[in-house]
Amino acid sequence: MKEQIAQIKEKALNEIQNAKDAKALDDVRIKYLGKKGELTLILRGMGGLSPEERPVIGSLVNEVRDELETKIEAGEKHFANLEIEKKLATENIDVTMPSKKSSLGSVHPITQIINDVKEIFIGMGYEIADGPEVELAEYNFDKLNTPPDHPARDVQDTFYITDDIVLRSQTSPVQARVMETKKPPIKIICPGAVYRSDSVDATHSPVFHQIEGLVIDKNISMADLKGTLDMFAKKCLGEKTLVRFRPHHFPFTEPSAEADVSCFVCGGKGCRVCKGEGWIELLGCGMVHPNVLRNCGIDPEEYSGFAFGFGVERIAMAKFGIDDMRLLYENDVRFLKQF
Amino acid sequence: MKASIEWLNEYADINIEPKELGDILTMTGSKVETIESQGEDIQNVVVGKILEVKPHIDSDHLVVTKVDVGNGEILQIVTGAKNIKEGDVVPIAKDGSKLPGGVEIKTGKLRGVDSCGMMCSVGELGLDIHNYPDQIENGIMILKPELEKELGKDIKEVLGINQTVIDFEITPNRPDCFSVEGLGREVAVSLNVPFKNPRKNIDQMSVKDVDNIDGLTVEITAPDLCYRYIARVVKNVKIAPSPEWMVKRLNSCGVRAINNIVDITNYVMLEMGQPMHAFDINSIEGKHITVRRANKDEKIITLDDQERNLNENMLVIADSKKPVAIAGVMGGQNSEIEPTTQTVVFESAVFYGGSVRKTAKAVGLRTEASSRYEKGLSSENALRAINRAVELVELIGAGEAVDGKIDVYPTKQKIARIPLNVDRINLLLGTNLSKEEMIKTLEKLEIKVENNEVIPPYFRPDIEQLADVAEEVLRFYGYDKLGITLINAETTLGGKNKEQKIADSVSEYLVNSGLSEICTYGFLSEKDLAKCNIEGDNEYLTEAVKIQNPLSEDYTVMKTTSVPTMMQTLATNNNYKNKDVKLFDLSRVYRNKKGSIESGNLPEESNILTIGMYSEKEDFYTLKGLVENLLEVAGLQRYDVRKEKENKMYHPGRCANFNVGTDVIATIGEANPLLTRNYDITQRVLLAEINIDKLTKYARKSQKYVQITKFPAVERDISMVLNEEIEVGEIEKIIQKKAKKLLEEAQLFDVYRSEKLGENKKSVAYSLKFRVPDRTLTDDEINSVMKEIIAELEKSLGAELRK
Repeated sequence: MKEQIAQIKEKALNEIQNAKDAKALDDVRIKYLGKKGELTLILRGMGGLSPEERPVIGSLVNEVRDELETKIEAGEKHFANLEIEKKLATENIDVTMPSKKSSLGSVHPITQIINDVKEIFIGMGYEIADGPEVELAEYNFDKLNTPPDHPARDVQDTFYITDDIVLRSQTSPVQARVMETKKPPIKIICPGAVYRSDSVDATHSPVFHQIEGLVIDKNISMADLKGTLDMFAKKCLGEKTLVRFRPHHFPFTEPSAEADVSCFVCGGKGCRVCKGEGWIELLGCGMVHPNVLRNCGIDPEEYSGFAFGFGVERIAMAKFGIDDMRLLYENDVRFLKQF
Repeated sequence: MKASIEWLNEYADINIEPKELGDILTMTGSKVETIESQGEDIQNVVVGKILEVKPHIDSDHLVVTKVDVGNGEILQIVTGAKNIKEGDVVPIAKDGSKLPGGVEIKTGKLRGVDSCGMMCSVGELGLDIHNYPDQIENGIMILKPELEKELGKDIKEVLGINQTVIDFEITPNRPDCFSVEGLGREVAVSLNVPFKNPRKNIDQMSVKDVDNIDGLTVEITAPDLCYRYIARVVKNVKIAPSPEWMVKRLNSCGVRAINNIVDITNYVMLEMGQPMHAFDINSIEGKHITVRRANKDEKIITLDDQERNLNENMLVIADSKKPVAIAGVMGGQNSEIEPTTQTVVFESAVFYGGSVRKTAKAVGLRTEASSRYEKGLSSENALRAINRAVELVELIGAGEAVDGKIDVYPTKQKIARIPLNVDRINLLLGTNLSKEEMIKTLEKLEIKVENNEVIPPYFRPDIEQLADVAEEVLRFYGYDKLGITLINAETTLGGKNKEQKIADSVSEYLVNSGLSEICTYGFLSEKDLAKCNIEGDNEYLTEAVKIQNPLSEDYTVMKTTSVPTMMQTLATNNNYKNKDVKLFDLSRVYRNKKGSIESGNLPEESNILTIGMYSEKEDFYTLKGLVENLLEVAGLQRYDVRKEKENKMYHPGRCANFNVGTDVIATIGEANPLLTRNYDITQRVLLAEINIDKLTKYARKSQKYVQITKFPAVERDISMVLNEEIEVGEIEKIIQKKAKKLLEEAQLFDVYRSEKLGENKKSVAYSLKFRVPDRTLTDDEINSVMKEIIAELEKSLGAELRK
């Protein structure tokens, strides 16, 4: 019987060796190891053996069976690998062919500047405030220390809906509304569209965007204002940016200043963008006028605060090198998609 | 405000270059706009004396002259000028000289005779003939004979056209700086040199008050508009040209010389900032001046020969019969100084700035005087100014002063007294200055500190409270020395609110989906609305907010919808032949609901996201998918989609509203073909309007985990034939209603039409998936639900079930 087993083994190994594909291997498995396979039949026929021979033959058959199984599996794996190699050889593609994708849209350059500024000030603990664009003259002017006879209220500059309702000429009325409804500490920025009666040309538009900032608390100083703008300028325009204050006058702040930044194009050496000055006028700012605080129900003896405001279009034009403001409002997708 | 270095030097010694002076003044608050050096384009033109004039051998109209140009140099010059004679002193442009307009003069031959230069006219020197009334326009400029002593000297020096003039931007709070004197004070403090005050005698002058001067009386009937009116009289006036020094200074400020009396009024205004007026006393009927409101329909012809209509809101200076000047704006022709004038009344008055501004605007005349008055002038300065004017009259020999002044001064100028709180100023500025340092700066500015109270001088009415004092301290401490500190206060959280976050996330989603953001104006015209099929009693038109003073007829109303600006933008892109254009606009619309504006309230403003696109690849259903995803991004889960047939801007068969209850969150659809035709777009245009405010109201972000069920789903397909007009939404509603909580999903998988089905019929097939989280559903349960669904579909929709 041992001999018979050895013969089966040799035959089977031979057939495994000569198998041409996975199917042939499977045939070998059925022929020897299947339910009616030659090796299986031997196991079944063990009933006629003596009790001494049975375990010897049994373990021999199992040994052979394991060896055949291992060989068959190895062979199957070999054929499977061959199959994949064959597939790989036929599935070569040109990776430099164009991709299939839906194109991306774009964020308007004005929004991009506003988003950048928002992010910087949110990081410094500011909230974003919002208010009406069609605004009471009281908020656009009176509360901001611009009484009825002030030149800023001229019809040439401001769009009127009625004598008492205007299109806001600045985002400052939002400040007044916040001061009236919220107790200090107040730290807000208010971005938004404003309206002035300017004809459209390369540097003017009757609609443009402003961002204003307001901080009210105890012990707020003009040096804090300079420090805040210094940090903002460095984050928005580059780490090396310097801020310079010049005296100026605004009805709603006192003391007031105009803030220049060192030219972010030439770094202050003088170029076309800064007209050779090395400085670019960035914004107007100052300490909130005590009259404004009083008008909004805040005691100027107890609280102080600063405010600043700038035009978004100007920054966008300087930063992106846009030479005509009208491009911002024409919305040609060939322009928009550059941002 | 222009001022020459020469004039400023009268107030403070300036020993630095103009550019440096400009930089220093800019940093102390008098911003320098430009620095202009006069006469830069005149080179090598000198004073010469004509020694002889002889005929030209070859010409009737030319003459040959010999000219002494100093240093023993005699030039032969040929000229065609008719107004010269031997002995005349004239400007000579020598060989190689330059004249304004890029003209170069070289030695040459005129009809065969050598000519080594040119005699110059007023115009050739780039000067204004009006400033040289003695000269003629088409002739050589004849200089004063005494200039014979200056032969060879540069003409710029001799004529005083070598001045450097600084043009300052004066902020409206500093009317005192609309004068050379005021600027001189700023220069002195900025350079830290003494203020020389050349008008000390005027400050100390005392002129007695009288009720009338030679019968002339003054009365103010509108004291709310006129705070002070002073009159003085000069007699034996000889109207003549002003002396050269005065003309030069007037010119340096851009003011033209006229005659001595008028020039004095202008000179005093430039010097002291107080506008002056001069009348011929004979033109004042009744010898009585009244400062009063104009009568309705009153008229006056002003000095510029224009007739001006007046009304009750305007202040005039009148005699007993008629207005002789518009107060603070311009004098009348009827009282003008004439060459024959012998007695002059000088007026120095202070009017309410707001009224002067309004009047100047109403009559369309903004003058040097009105632009000073409108900023609010010091009443104390008015007296100095009139005394200075009279002093100048005598100084230049234009007449004789009559003693006494009429001074009507109903409202005294208030001088503020501000407690000096050193700590508060330091806190406000972030500085650490001592009281002594502050007082030192303030005293340089002539601001007194007495008993710890700050008392500004009369010429600084702008200093009213402590913040104003702080600014003065800071200006001369130095804005550039201000520290850079960080806020030392309560920590605030900051951040965006819910609506801002939603707006940001939907914008980001749209950009990632291929849409570009646009930026448009908030106003448009009623024509634009009409182009979008909005007419008649449509609310988009009737609720539009109208602008009283629009920039042009293109921008008369505020947007009630952004569809017109979106259509216009698509049309622009279509004109540029841009393909597959997909845009969105996040902006405001404004609705005057229920006459809100008429009752003094603000209109309703909403933040609207408007989507507009044209593309071969997109249709209603891609837009619908985009908006559905957008609502999901924002956090809106439940809404109804309903057909919308009434919205005029959309295709009535291809428009839907997304509703939460009765609130319309979004409207989407194809643009009405009328719109695409009006905007010349040949492709279909897709539009959507999403109300971000309402979206924010209903958006919820559910953050709770729901267990994933382990039990299997049961799927059943259902197919039916029904009438074409029945919307699949109705089928879905019935399925949902009847399947209740057992239904997980109902998916439409087929719609088809064929002849076999019959006309106006369609076949619709759904795949239904049932599942509950806690058990496996039985066949009986599903069968009973399916039965109910089918029964309801048959009953309500007349559907024929296909087996």
